[in-house]
Amino acid sequence: MDINNYFLIFPVLLPIFAGVLLMFLKFGKREHMQLYILAILIVDLASVGWIALQPEDTLTLSQFFIAEGLHVFFHVDMLSKIFSVLTAFVWLMVGIASFEYMAHEKNEQRFYCFYLVVGGVLSALAFSGNLLTMYVFYELMTLTSMPLVMHNLSHEAIMAGLKYLFYSVAGAFMVLFGFFLFNAEGRVLYFSPGGIINEANPPGIMLFAVFLMIVGFGTKAGMFPMHGWLPTAHPVAPAPASAVLSGVITKAGVLGIIRSVYYVAGPDMIKGTWVQYTWIILSILTIFMGSMMAYKEKVLKKRLAYSTVSQVSYILFGLSVMQPVAFVGALMHVIFHSLVKNTLFVSAGAIICKTGKTKVRQLVGIGKEMPVTMWCFTLVSLTLVGIPPTSAFVSKWYLISGALDSGVPGLSWIGPIVLLISALLTAGYLLTISIKAFLPGEDYNYAKLVNHEPTWRMLMPMIVMTALAVILGIWPAGLMKIFADIAASVL
Amino acid sequence: MAFVQNFPFFCIILSMFSAIISFVMNGRIAKYIHVAMVTAVLILSLATLSFVAGTGESYTFMMGHFPAPWGNEIRIGELEALMAVFFSLIMMLSVFGGMAHIDREVQDSKKNLFYILLDLLMASLLALIYTNDLFTAYVFIEINTIAACGLIMIKKQGRTYVSALRYMIMSLVGSGLFLIGLTLLYSITGHLLMSPAKEALDQIIAVHSYQVPLMVIIILVTVGLGIKSGLYPFHTWIPDAYGYTTPSASAILSSLVSKGYIFLLIKIFYRVLGFDSIISSHMVNILFAFGVIGMIMGSVAAIKERNIRRMTAYSSVAQIGYIYMGLGLGTTAGVVAAVFHIISHGVMKSLLFLSISGLTEVSDGRSDYLSLRGAGLRNRIAGAAFTVGSLSMIGMPLLTGFISKYLFASAATTAGNKMITAWVVLAISTVLNTMYFMRTVLTLYRPVSAEVHKEYTLEKSKIERAAIIGLILLNIGLGVASQPVIKAIEAGLAMFG
Repeated sequence: MDINNYFLIFPVLLPIFAGVLLMFLKFGKREHMQLYILAILIVDLASVGWIALQPEDTLTLSQFFIAEGLHVFFHVDMLSKIFSVLTAFVWLMVGIASFEYMAHEKNEQRFYCFYLVVGGVLSALAFSGNLLTMYVFYELMTLTSMPLVMHNLSHEAIMAGLKYLFYSVAGAFMVLFGFFLFNAEGRVLYFSPGGIINEANPPGIMLFAVFLMIVGFGTKAGMFPMHGWLPTAHPVAPAPASAVLSGVITKAGVLGIIRSVYYVAGPDMIKGTWVQYTWIILSILTIFMGSMMAYKEKVLKKRLAYSTVSQVSYILFGLSVMQPVAFVGALMHVIFHSLVKNTLFVSAGAIICKTGKTKVRQLVGIGKEMPVTMWCFTLVSLTLVGIPPTSAFVSKWYLISGALDSGVPGLSWIGPIVLLISALLTAGYLLTISIKAFLPGEDYNYAKLVNHEPTWRMLMPMIVMTALAVILGIWPAGLMKIFADIAASVL
Repeated sequence: MAFVQNFPFFCIILSMFSAIISFVMNGRIAKYIHVAMVTAVLILSLATLSFVAGTGESYTFMMGHFPAPWGNEIRIGELEALMAVFFSLIMMLSVFGGMAHIDREVQDSKKNLFYILLDLLMASLLALIYTNDLFTAYVFIEINTIAACGLIMIKKQGRTYVSALRYMIMSLVGSGLFLIGLTLLYSITGHLLMSPAKEALDQIIAVHSYQVPLMVIIILVTVGLGIKSGLYPFHTWIPDAYGYTTPSASAILSSLVSKGYIFLLIKIFYRVLGFDSIISSHMVNILFAFGVIGMIMGSVAAIKERNIRRMTAYSSVAQIGYIYMGLGLGTTAGVVAAVFHIISHGVMKSLLFLSISGLTEVSDGRSDYLSLRGAGLRNRIAGAAFTVGSLSMIGMPLLTGFISKYLFASAATTAGNKMITAWVVLAISTVLNTMYFMRTVLTLYRPVSAEVHKEYTLEKSKIERAAIIGLILLNIGLGVASQPVIKAIEAGLAMFG
């Protein structure tokens, strides 16, 4: 472990420095700034991809100490590779799509400055090799993503930003609490598959620490009772920001939970305790509540935000039953939901910046005006509902069969039932939009039809992500093998 | 005896003499003398620190070669030298950071007086740090109080007189209690030097005599110094005292003056009364309770405050609560955390007070929330400094505030039944800190229409900006590489015993 691979900090520092530099640069034309951002994002993706191709044992960087016991340590394992590549890919896609969207917002340069910085911080988060490093970058992520939320600086935006901040700080402190409790036991908190502590019949205080960490990281993942920031922050943020918040930053919370439960505490410690049951109940509650709220919601972006609340809890549910098949399903859902939700938010953004419509009932006939956008929207909706052979079908299949095999009394049945109900509700709140969009009814005035389709810069990322979401569902074997390996190592 | 061993004594004498010489000089020359003196003290203290760290043991320095119990002594260990380094460093940066304001706000005829007061303050702080004699400590406490009063009312405006008077009364009550405690101690031990007093006390404690007077001594000394350092129920003088004077003075008062008393208290706990008897007298529990209440109440008061300088002053109440909470844990780790927070809070608070002056200056000199809108955009460097200071206060990783919080929390883990309370309060206080500091930061970066605020032509004082940047770097430096400082504190506390 004494080999230091300094290349690991490249994808971290490059976007951060590029972002900070952006604050001071002056561009003659918007296009020049966009080229600069595009170049950074591509180089970032390439470097993360290069790291992902290296063997795991060469990817360690253990050089920085803040204080005794505070060791900033990077180690890249399979999970880090997947998260970092996903992040960099989504960042590039949403970045391209945002060039057109941001034209109608002010202070573009400031937005991109923070956009790049958050990208770098997320790579660092994925590469973290111990809990402290993770916590450091988790806090930084909150802080640097807050300006994205309150970009337009209206009263609501600032209030939403503050709400986001308070929830996140409270969550982060719960994590820190758990961190201290573990530290108090004199444990060294370096991630290792299957957990470091991992003892049966642990003292109650340790279980409490794990519970606090789950709820703390669950704040970012939008788990009940700390989900409140999500539906407030998403609608006021610019669409690209809500896309990455929903698609990637919520997953950072998931990553945190995976790391603390499966890599620090260890599943054997939690299995069959009140922590596991409470966790399962909370995630089931969130799934149901999120879908219900989404079903009732009238504002498109808010509806999508509630949908995120419910979908991310699918992932948490899969993690909470502690069963290899469900674990694979959960990780698959991380990828699929990320692709789907980003596409949904980008298309919502396209609708907003081209037509200015934000409410669901205004979207009647929009499929005639923006056919490609709405086709992408419809396809990924179908995916999210889980219609075979699209991708979320695969992940839900694994989630449900894993849950049924888990043998958790009672909950192993209730969970799948709620998943099915929620799938129905998902169809209810997403497909109705598509139906109204393409089949506006008889009183729709075809004469007034205008083509609002955005240009290829916005369409290309949507199409690529939609295609991936569908194709990965038809050929999931490669991904599945990787995830099965991870599941085998931790469970 | 090595020549370096004289340095602490030189530092004290040097600062006292600069005060005396400055009486006959005009303001400009007094300023140069002060700057030269602080720089010299910093360099000499650094040399002392490296010497003490090198030998690994403390030494006592007799004044005029009269041995105890008649003579006067100072004692130099690693912790004392470290404190001297930080105090002189913060003093220097605070004075540089508000230099232009001092020139503008202080009357010409009073300028030399201002620097004399600063010189005296430095002398008394150094003496409080180094002294091995309780009565010398008392004398310099009084000098410190008088100098601080002068600094509070140096602007010669209505409110500053009131706040100086308030400070004076509270402080005199504090030093009065301390003096009574000292008298009682002298009457049961017969010594005023710390080491012989401790020996005598150990004998007294061993035979269980004088238990009530000992208790009274502990209470009087602790409460006396607690009042002077602004521990929670005795904090009412803080917001006025810090809120209206010139920025350098606010920075120095909040980050140094109150800390000198806390350091003296720690020293008396360890070197005279004995930390064990403090624990067995349950004084730590009381300190813990008041510290914890202060952490919450200070933040609550700060949230209610609409004036940014008074808000920052209330935040000091909360931060002093942190320090007493650390002391109250009753473990060495807790004391290490408390001492680290003395340094860390000094670095953060001086940065905040200095940046506030830069911000109010571009807002028609007003310091309420409404006027400060967009101030961070009008004065970039002050805005950045305030943001860094706030983030550090909240405890963002990689800044010094996080290390403090980490040290407090890990110290709490070994403190038995105080653990959960300490953590819960740390958590609540973090969230409260976030509330008022982030609210302010957001206000600073909220754009306003151009009509409301005319263009300000800032006379950009290079030296102020350099000092502010220096403090920002110090915040980051302490947050990233705190290891040597923590090691030095641990070694220094070990030398205390």
